Amino acid sequence: MPNKKKPSSLSRRQFIKGVSTGVAGTIATTKLARALPIEKLEKAAPPEGHLPLELKVNGKPYQLYVEPQTTLVEVLRNELQLTGTKVSCNHGECGACTVLLDGKAVYSCHILALDAQGKSVTTIEGLLNGEELHPIQKAFIKKDGYQCGFCTPGQIMSTQALLLKNPNPTKEEILDGLSGNLCRCGAYPKIIESVEEAAKVK
Amino acid sequence: MAENKIIKSKFFFEEEEIEQLAEVSERKYRPWPNNDKLKVVGKGITRLDGYDKVSGSATYAFDVILPRMTFAKTLRCPHPHARIKSIDTSKAEKIKGVLGIITYLNAPKIKWYGNSFLFDPHLRYEGDEVACVAAVSEAIAEQALKAIKVEYELLPFVVDARKALKKDAPKLHKEGNVVRGKPSKYNRGDLQNGLKEADVVIEQTFNTQVEIHNPTEPHGSVVNWNGDHLTIWDSTQGVFRVRSQVAAALGLPESNVRVIKKYMGGGFGSKLEAGKYTVMAALLAKTIGRPVRIALDRREMNLAVGNRPDSFQTLKGAVTKDGRLTALYLKSIGSAGAYPAGTGCAWPLRSMYDCPNVSVEEYGVYINAGRARAFRAPGHVQGFFALEQLIDMLAEKVNMDPLEFRLQNYAHEEPNWHIPYTSKLLKQAYLVGAKSIGWEQRNKVAGSQSGPIKTGIGMSSQIWWGGGGPPAYANLKLNRDGSVQIIAGSQDLGTGTYTILAQVASEVLDIPVEKIEVILGDTDTAPYCGSSGGSTTAASVTPAVRDAAEQMMDKLYSAAMAQFDLPKNKIKYAKGKFSTVEPKPRVLTIGQLARKMGERVLETVGRREANPKGYAINSFGAQFAEVAVDTNTGKIKVQKIVAAYDIGRVLNRLTIDNQIHGGIIQGLGFALFEDRILDRNTGKMLNANFHDYKVPTIKDTPEIEIHIVSETDNRLSNTGVKGVGEPAMIPTPAAVANAVYNAIGKRITSLPLTPDKILMALQS
Amino acid sequence: MKPFVYHQPKSIEEASVLSAKNWEEAVLFAGGTDVLGLLKDGIEEPKEVINLKGLEGLDQIDFTKGKELRIGALVKIAQIAEHPAIKQSFPALAQAAAQTASPQLRNMGTIGGNICQRPRCWYFRGDFHCLRKGGDECFAVEGENKYHCVIGGGPCYIVHPSDLTVVLQALGAKVTIVWKGGQKTVPTSQFFVLPEEDLYRENILKPGEIVTHIHIPVPDSKMKSGYLKFKERDVWDFAVVSVAASVRIANGRIESGRIVFGGVAPKPWEEETLNRELKGLPLKDADLQKLKALALKEAEPLEQNAYKIPLARNLMLSLLKELMPIIPN
Ligand SMILES: Cc1cc2nc3c(=O)[nH]c(=O)nc-3n(C[C@H](O)[C@H](O)[C@H](O)COP(=O)(O)OP(=O)(O)OC[C@H]3O[C@@H](n4cnc5c(N)ncnc54)[C@H](O)[C@@H]3O)c2cc1C
Ligand code: SF4
Ligand code: FES
Ligand code: FES
Repeated sequence: MPNKKKPSSLSRRQFIKGVSTGVAGTIATTKLARALPIEKLEKAAPPEGHLPLELKVNGKPYQLYVEPQTTLVEVLRNELQLTGTKVSCNHGECGACTVLLDGKAVYSCHILALDAQGKSVTTIEGLLNGEELHPIQKAFIKKDGYQCGFCTPGQIMSTQALLLKNPNPTKEEILDGLSGNLCRCGAYPKIIESVEEAAKVK
Repeated sequence: MAENKIIKSKFFFEEEEIEQLAEVSERKYRPWPNNDKLKVVGKGITRLDGYDKVSGSATYAFDVILPRMTFAKTLRCPHPHARIKSIDTSKAEKIKGVLGIITYLNAPKIKWYGNSFLFDPHLRYEGDEVACVAAVSEAIAEQALKAIKVEYELLPFVVDARKALKKDAPKLHKEGNVVRGKPSKYNRGDLQNGLKEADVVIEQTFNTQVEIHNPTEPHGSVVNWNGDHLTIWDSTQGVFRVRSQVAAALGLPESNVRVIKKYMGGGFGSKLEAGKYTVMAALLAKTIGRPVRIALDRREMNLAVGNRPDSFQTLKGAVTKDGRLTALYLKSIGSAGAYPAGTGCAWPLRSMYDCPNVSVEEYGVYINAGRARAFRAPGHVQGFFALEQLIDMLAEKVNMDPLEFRLQNYAHEEPNWHIPYTSKLLKQAYLVGAKSIGWEQRNKVAGSQSGPIKTGIGMSSQIWWGGGGPPAYANLKLNRDGSVQIIAGSQDLGTGTYTILAQVASEVLDIPVEKIEVILGDTDTAPYCGSSGGSTTAASVTPAVRDAAEQMMDKLYSAAMAQFDLPKNKIKYAKGKFSTVEPKPRVLTIGQLARKMGERVLETVGRREANPKGYAINSFGAQFAEVAVDTNTGKIKVQKIVAAYDIGRVLNRLTIDNQIHGGIIQGLGFALFEDRILDRNTGKMLNANFHDYKVPTIKDTPEIEIHIVSETDNRLSNTGVKGVGEPAMIPTPAAVANAVYNAIGKRITSLPLTPDKILMALQS
Repeated sequence: MKPFVYHQPKSIEEASVLSAKNWEEAVLFAGGTDVLGLLKDGIEEPKEVINLKGLEGLDQIDFTKGKELRIGALVKIAQIAEHPAIKQSFPALAQAAAQTASPQLRNMGTIGGNICQRPRCWYFRGDFHCLRKGGDECFAVEGENKYHCVIGGGPCYIVHPSDLTVVLQALGAKVTIVWKGGQKTVPTSQFFVLPEEDLYRENILKPGEIVTHIHIPVPDSKMKSGYLKFKERDVWDFAVVSVAASVRIANGRIESGRIVFGGVAPKPWEEETLNRELKGLPLKDADLQKLKALALKEAEPLEQNAYKIPLARNLMLSLLKELMPIIPN
């Protein structure tokens, strides 16, 4: 039967890493440290209404308890503090939240976290090698494939999905591959150039 | 001679002329040569903030996470017009995890939108704020919203501006439905004489739709109190403006409020003012004693944070047989929404062409819908859609080529004030653009092609201000290791401000851009700059940065003179190094020099100089569109846009091209798809999402060719820069509409140019 | 989203038992791309969600040469768009799949969910308690009805949103439905229903019934099929109007054929009279023009959607011309 009970407090994993109050977002560098794998949860019973979820994010295994209605992006952003993945429409209509699920591009806002059970998720943070940018990320800098940057993580993840499947896309295939990502700033011409550049260097 | 001085500064910000006192720099610098002689300015330098943006580490307001942070959500009125009869939050309060709820019953009475309140029991549109809940998670806050019981008294409503002007229309405000109680008027010359003088007079109505900004990053803030000090991470285009508004709303000294914005996911005008949500979050945070994050969802973005007002324009144009404009007339009606907002669209008609007799009458009208806000070239996009089609119609009537017609009526001086322009290279833009699109290949007779796909070519001019002006300041700091920081109270909206400011300093200091850190958007650390709007940021702030950098060079020269014990002419400076050969060769880097100074940080303050007196400052441009219309379906494919601009000096080739692309693509969205649909029977918005409110996708990208015909505007400022953000969007819809006419021989006078309209026009 | 109980049945039978409750109680969940939209907006607020993804054997495409193509209900739309045999032998289906939604949604949404998705009427998706949601008013009929149906409507005027269904019907596809203790296979033409038959559902499924497979007969070499979808914006848009056709051409004539329209009616719209007219039609432009007058003859547009009629007729002609060598007049 439905369980309307809510967890009584924030998850205990919801702690702050790398952000100090007062100055975050200003002069100090704003890179959030990425969350570390969460130690296996103790034997304690899960919070009411929660179900266990095991998944890999950016190569690291995680085990956590989620409510069934939790979406994948909520786990990524709120639980794992991977805030590189953005939410813009929360309805599968813009692509800002694009991540790879077992290598395929999906909207993380429009998929239940439980549907990632046992799967492997790659987010924008997962493209980095330490602090070293991925060639696609470098291509977006070189070709200025963004303006405000809010849609950029999604654009880059769609590029990654496209190039994994098709390392030498034609212009048409690039337009198709990136068509599920809106850019309200209209940086499209330079996004296209960035993808072409990324395909060249890969 | 004093180096700084306080003057009366006057310039256009968005569509309003603002006048204020400002301290300006009186230092005069040698104008920079053309970009090909410069080292850094004008080059396609990649962005300083590139790493953050592509790695996912850029922190938007939306991404700020604070310890013990809570989440707020807003309950909004589901009706277009209502009064709260009763409100019961008791059930919501009992939900576990709910921390605080505010409504008009328990919130302080804070004035908003003139005569209304932060929470007002009189609700004037679908989306008006009813309550705000803070909880330990967004999900719980949302659940609580559903548990709040509100009893509404439904009031009659009106959602069409033309109907709102009728006598018996429901009234939104005591003053009636006309904003400020009366139309705004402008006259020059004598309209009737102008009409009489003409051989041809055309009267035509044009409608443009409501466009929603819909930036990808939702509006929102994270707020945190430390005692009576409030820190706000806000997604805003103007940190100082938000600080003033929030401080005033909460009755705090401005010194107690700090507003921070590092990254921001698009604004386009919708983030030029403080949001109610910020104040609501601050009130909740104060009562619950925890930080609050509030972020709007896409539906709220469509309902409640601004839009480009619609327009119903009636134009008259009068010309002589030989194509001389003798009169222009405009009556316009625009929907302000539920609260006061600008809706005018007359500036194009007043200022584009040399026309002696002009008369304008404009009505801003209250309707029960979300309030309008400035949106990328407010008034101009609407105004040009009408004006430039009328111009084409007039040209056709007198058998003139539309381009020739425009040249014939070219304004050689500013037509409203009869003063010269600091620079105007529109003619060059016309000619370059026409050549590049292949103007002579357009259909001599509109719609004359056979075959189901018909192509056409059309154009539109544009004028905008974008010269900026004082006050704008920048601090420049040189550290002991030779690294440099520029700190300014401006903001980068994705336009590249971080990068261009560094380029300007790099040019003057002759050090690599990578050595320069730019810090923007923090009211506690930065000197004042205005909001980023009106295409004024680059034009206002870069001269201040040059001023700061030039002063730093002077300072360093004096230090070098003292250190070498030599006069200035015996010392050389290049690439970050001072050198001399007397009495023996010696070299000092600026870092080494800085380390000789007792102060650990050398600092200068740069100021924007005054705008030149007696000149009009405008940017100019033209766009040419090539379209293909499928007469089987009515679908328009915009194949190519050529954009030719006079915008003073190019600072960065990459970012300026990107801005122009973006403006054109937004212009295409307005021309082809975007339209707020209000249900006429219920007054509710039907497409408040990214699916039914259609913004362009990557597949709608046409081929775009950009020509910048200007080198610099040395009369304007020490960097010679005029803004381009808004000019880039202005002519696109009109150019497309004219091209569609050229293709199919039918004039579509209402936007957007959707296939159903084209198809029905072709059937008739 | 309202909390719900989440089930992950391992067998179709278990899924059927779990879902054999009132529609308001339980919802089947495949890719979830449609269901999540409904849940987030509170259009449906089921107490239980039954995830079908654990069911085995429903994610296969089986192609038996000369016989049938069988697609499991859990096959992703992207798989259909990219499947070599489908591209080769059922180009219309691959085209429709490739033009559905966006790449990410095609990676998430399934064919079963696609044919069972709920309507997109913006009143239905908004907070309007309209007829289809058990209210007593259709807001579209005198409201903003540019995207609503021109035929087959009343008292509700939705169009069926799915692209795939239009093609499936033109290809003569059948749908297998399974429930605890039974199963049946019906042609798509009998799968979808008009509002006058059932105001609240778009197909014949009853609680506890699950679509398991779609079967499509393999065409012979003389059969040609195609799909044209008209959308205002190239991505995400549902069809404003679409048309699918399969025709068998022999001796310079159309031997037989089926034309099905999307975006015009509450279900994939096929007209017997039109199909009959196709039989024996010479491949001449003048003869094709006759079809134009015949198509959607009974249509009664609402205030804002009359354009759909010429649009549908023009699209039909364009498609037929694409499929066949037409002799101009
Ligand atoms: C932004 C957006 C744009 C879209 N554009 C298009 C488009 O252009 N063309 C188009 O055709 N579609 C479009 N869609 C719809 C999309 O294709 C469907 O949402 C998707 O195919 C549904 O598949 P799913 O597996 O996600 O279904 P779900 O969301 O899981 O289910 C959809 C419905 O089908 C029922 N259901 C699912 N599987 C079964 C089964 N095996 N047996 C019985 N009932 C079942 C569910 O109970 C539910 O009612 C769009 C969707 C979105 C969100
Ligand atoms: S068309 Fe149908 S779904 Fe839409 S409002 Fe009318 S009854 Fe409701
Ligand atoms: S935020 Fe997920 S698609 Fe828009
Ligand atoms: S860069 Fe701003 S939305 Fe794409």
